[in-house]
Amino acid sequence: MSGSLQRLTRSAVLTALALALSVAEGLVPLTILFPLPGLRLGLANLVTVYALCRLSGREALLILVARCLLGSLLGGNLMALAFSLTGGLLALAVMALALHLPGLSLFGVSIAGAAAHNTGQILAAMAVLGTRAPLVYLPPLLLCSLVTGAVTGGASILLVHRVPFSSRA
Amino acid sequence: MKSPAAERRRPTPWDAVVALAVIAFAVVLIVLLRPTQGSAITAVVTLDGEPVAQYRLDQVTQPETLTVDEAPYPLTISIEPGRICIDHSDCPSQDCVNTGWISRSGQQIICLPNRLVISLSGSEDEEFDAVTG
Repeated sequence: MSGSLQRLTRSAVLTALALALSVAEGLVPLTILFPLPGLRLGLANLVTVYALCRLSGREALLILVARCLLGSLLGGNLMALAFSLTGGLLALAVMALALHLPGLSLFGVSIAGAAAHNTGQILAAMAVLGTRAPLVYLPPLLLCSLVTGAVTGGASILLVHRVPFSSRA
Repeated sequence: MKSPAAERRRPTPWDAVVALAVIAFAVVLIVLLRPTQGSAITAVVTLDGEPVAQYRLDQVTQPETLTVDEAPYPLTISIEPGRICIDHSDCPSQDCVNTGWISRSGQQIICLPNRLVISLSGSEDEEFDAVTG
């Protein structure tokens, strides 16, 4: 199988996986346990971490954008698209940088990504509403992102080591 | 992409530094957004950037309801002495209804699908009046 076809297939499978994870996560909303708008576990972020580690930044970006676009077709609206894209892109950028820092593990990378995602969502909400009112939700969201980031970080360590995609190694 | 982080299996001290940085950011925001103290609580209802109603919660004596029919998803707001909540909303997320009652300055109820914000603010001037008068 040619290299580019293999990469296309991989990206497609990961996009489908990310989409399935974000839909599955929506079925069991964390906001029932803890009523904080915008709180989620961020399972789809696992795919972003995996793509950054095992594929490339370009593919991670394409997977993210495809997931957000398809996700908004599945059940969201344009505003939901704005939120997931802003949060997702900021998280991707921060994690791509964090991965290049020496000394971090995927725990730290995921926590930074989760915090960046929440910050991006709040910035999008502030832009949509035209006030800084949503900012009050950011501190509790950031504290929650420590937990959600550590959980997805632990899961991404397992994922990255168990599923090596050996052809580029 | 070659990255040492991708190969590690255990958390490192630098992960703790990242976590502490996130906590520090959250604490700074909490301090910056600390509500102003005061006995006067004003609730402002804003729809798509335009104020549609304003209540002095400390001066409300009878429970009232406000129906916002012009919102994309019509909703009902309940106002009681000292507190306010969104009683019912036709919006899909229901975050605004789940927020429940708010009563302290600095608190907000946001209904994102409706682009509606209820924000409470206290004014220090009023408290000054109460002390001197």
